[in-house]
Amino acid sequence: MALRSIASRTALWVLVGSTVVLAAIGALLLSLTRAQILQHTHHEAAALAANAGSQIQARIDRVAVSAQMLATIVATRQDDAEPLLRDTLSTNLDMDGLAAVFTPSPDPSDAPMYSPFVRRLDDGSLTSRNLSQDSNPYWNSNWFLGGLGCASGCWQRPFLSLSRHRQVINYSVAIERNGHPTGIINADVTLDWLHNILSSLDKPAGAYAFVLDSDGNYLAHDNPVLVGKRGSPALLNALASDQAGTMRLRVAQNPRARGPVWVYSAPIEGTRWRLGLVVPEYQTYASVRRIFMLSLALGLLALLGVSLITLLTIRRTMAPLGVLADRAEHVARGELDFELPPARRPDEVGRLTQSFDHMRRELALHLEDLARVAREKQRLASELEIAHQIQLGLLPNAHYLDAVCAQFELHAALRPARAVGGDLYSYFMLDPQRFFVMVGDVSDKGIPAALFMAQTITLAKALAPRAQTPQNLLHLLNLELCRGNDSCMFVTLLCGLLDTGSGDLVLASAGHEPPILCGRGAPQLLEFPTGAVLGLYEDSTYPEHRLRLRTGETLLMYTDGITEASDHEQQMYGIERTVESLVQVPSTATTAGYIERLLGDVDHFVADAAQADDITLLALTWHGTGVPATGIDIDNRLPDVFVALDRCEQLLQEAKVPASLHGDVRLVLEELMVNTVEYGYPDGRPGRIRLLLQSRPGATTIELIDDGIAFDPLQSAAPTLTGDLADREQIGGLGIHLARTMTDEMRYTRDAQGNHLLLRFTYPTEDGSSP
Amino acid sequence: MTLSLHSEFSAPDRAVVQVGGRLDAMTFGELDEAMLALLPRLADGGTVVIDLAHLEYVSSAGLRSFAKIRKSMRARGGHTLLLNPQPQVRKVFDIVKAVPVNEVFASTQELDAYLDRMQRQITEGDDSDI
Repeated sequence: MALRSIASRTALWVLVGSTVVLAAIGALLLSLTRAQILQHTHHEAAALAANAGSQIQARIDRVAVSAQMLATIVATRQDDAEPLLRDTLSTNLDMDGLAAVFTPSPDPSDAPMYSPFVRRLDDGSLTSRNLSQDSNPYWNSNWFLGGLGCASGCWQRPFLSLSRHRQVINYSVAIERNGHPTGIINADVTLDWLHNILSSLDKPAGAYAFVLDSDGNYLAHDNPVLVGKRGSPALLNALASDQAGTMRLRVAQNPRARGPVWVYSAPIEGTRWRLGLVVPEYQTYASVRRIFMLSLALGLLALLGVSLITLLTIRRTMAPLGVLADRAEHVARGELDFELPPARRPDEVGRLTQSFDHMRRELALHLEDLARVAREKQRLASELEIAHQIQLGLLPNAHYLDAVCAQFELHAALRPARAVGGDLYSYFMLDPQRFFVMVGDVSDKGIPAALFMAQTITLAKALAPRAQTPQNLLHLLNLELCRGNDSCMFVTLLCGLLDTGSGDLVLASAGHEPPILCGRGAPQLLEFPTGAVLGLYEDSTYPEHRLRLRTGETLLMYTDGITEASDHEQQMYGIERTVESLVQVPSTATTAGYIERLLGDVDHFVADAAQADDITLLALTWHGTGVPATGIDIDNRLPDVFVALDRCEQLLQEAKVPASLHGDVRLVLEELMVNTVEYGYPDGRPGRIRLLLQSRPGATTIELIDDGIAFDPLQSAAPTLTGDLADREQIGGLGIHLARTMTDEMRYTRDAQGNHLLLRFTYPTEDGSSP
Repeated sequence: MTLSLHSEFSAPDRAVVQVGGRLDAMTFGELDEAMLALLPRLADGGTVVIDLAHLEYVSSAGLRSFAKIRKSMRARGGHTLLLNPQPQVRKVFDIVKAVPVNEVFASTQELDAYLDRMQRQITEGDDSDI
């Protein structure tokens, strides 16, 4: 639509507004002009009417003066009446005829009076006759009797002269002698000159004039039809009123005039006639209207011109706006590479164009920035996801069931608060006999914590075989973590080492939450002294805590994500609620049951508040019956060794350990104990050697404990075997080599009690081979 | 069960020692003593055959005793042959590679065949080893 453009609309409004203003002003002007013009017309017409009246009066005066003069002269010289009449008539062309008639003598015998009547013929010659001779005597007629009363002259009624075929009016003056009228001078005046005067008036177009006599009949009229007719009552009434000079009639009598008319009248002195000038109203305003129409047309033309100029100017001014609007749509579609109209002037449009260009450039930069940030964010998210996967990969399965003899079962759950977290749990068989388990919590959260967690879990696994005991592991781990820990991160760690044969559990804690023992009676919080957190103080030590799990008991390890889980009121779940939740777990519950229950209760407590910290839970249930180890204690003397060996063999038989193993066990124990007796006490002090024997289906383990000097048989070098013992200068180290070769597993630790050597003998399978 | 020893001379240059029971750190002294008494009686270049058929158990101490016997026999140009070791003992021998394989015999027949061959070599004056 054309009106969609601001230019068209503005132009239209300018046009409409100007038209309204112009119309209002025009109307006002018109009304003022009308009044003025009307007044002017009134003035002019009145002047014209007065002028016409004067002209008529002048003519009439001449007639009247001539007639009166004649009357005066004839009064004394009655006999010279005819020549006088002739002279007068010849000089006064307004008169058509003159008569001097006398009152007849009362005496009928007297000779009749000579009453001459001189008349102008059509050819201009004069003729006379004696009216006394008329068959119809004049002294009885009205005009004569009436004329006798007009001492100073008066105008008679007009009448149509049959002889002369024209309207004639008489002016009569009485001839007085001695104060008595003796006759009259009667002047016949044709009304042709009156017509001529009327028609010769400089009337406005469409106007007409008339003369009314004293009876209200038209003496003369521009429309000959009306001559002799009586004036309309409205006209006569108006003339009779005060404002006779200027008046308005709604309807003119003259059929030639339409609409309302203005009538200007002036009395004609000396007569009782009245001259009227009629101007039709539309004629009065014709000029005004014409000027007005012209002005209007010119005004409209000017307005059209102004509108056109406005349209073009605004179009030209707004043209860049249209382009800008178009470009804005480009921007909306994300296309920022386009041409902008040149900013010609520093006006609003120019500034807008510049701002638009600026905005476009800024937007492009911003979009690029945004895209870069988005890419960065995506990359970060994907890296976080990978980190999450890697971290999950660092954790062992959430469920572990001792596959060999189903002595214990483990369930764990870890819920990071973010993609990656600092909580950790881990477990592994340190050797076929012992199961290592730990739960830890790195300070802080997020990626730094995750890295520290990864370091901790990896180091723990790597150091465990060397450490052998939880307290050692914590000690070694602490030293490793302290190294280069400039960011002062730390980790709390709870380590447990489960003897899968007996259910013996050694715990050590580095500032970690105390574990909870469940399953028999009320859940029990295992509070025991802990060492410092790992990673801060190199000289920390970690006391151990020993306990034996009984069948059906579950050890629950957790991080502070459980106890410090907060609800909307920032209220913490706390250890009391934790224990309370565990009380609800039936003693027959599965390992997973503890985790589900506690996690469920925590979730219920927290409701939909955000998880603030990582949550880790680990439950270790002992199903084993716990075969008790048989102990043999001896002094560090050789005979005692053999007593012990015999006793041991007896025990093996009782435990129905395959006979083929007896020799091996004996040999290994003999070699080791003899070695201890011979070399373990170089100062010759008395010592004690302790054997702990435990036979289970599948394997027998023997722990050899002595309080001699530290000696790790695993560290001694293997002897060089030449193939002939007789070749060797010094026969030594063979026993240790034999012992090492013949045990399925040998493990050495040293603690306050002295040397611990754990030996494991696996029973041969059906086909005789070792597993 | 302790160590049992029985020795006899089948020839002046050949002694057979039957070792039974357990030879360990407790009993190796007995064997050492017995051999100390026996070996000097054997002619130089003789052969001592240790019959292990009844030896149930040997530890490193026992191995050392055997090594001593072989050493002293070798010093005198003699030989030490082991006969019929039982699985447990054989296992120990294998682990420590106690003696050359060709000096251990599973049965008396093998031993006799070996001795005959050795005899022939000496008779023919052929000193070369097999």
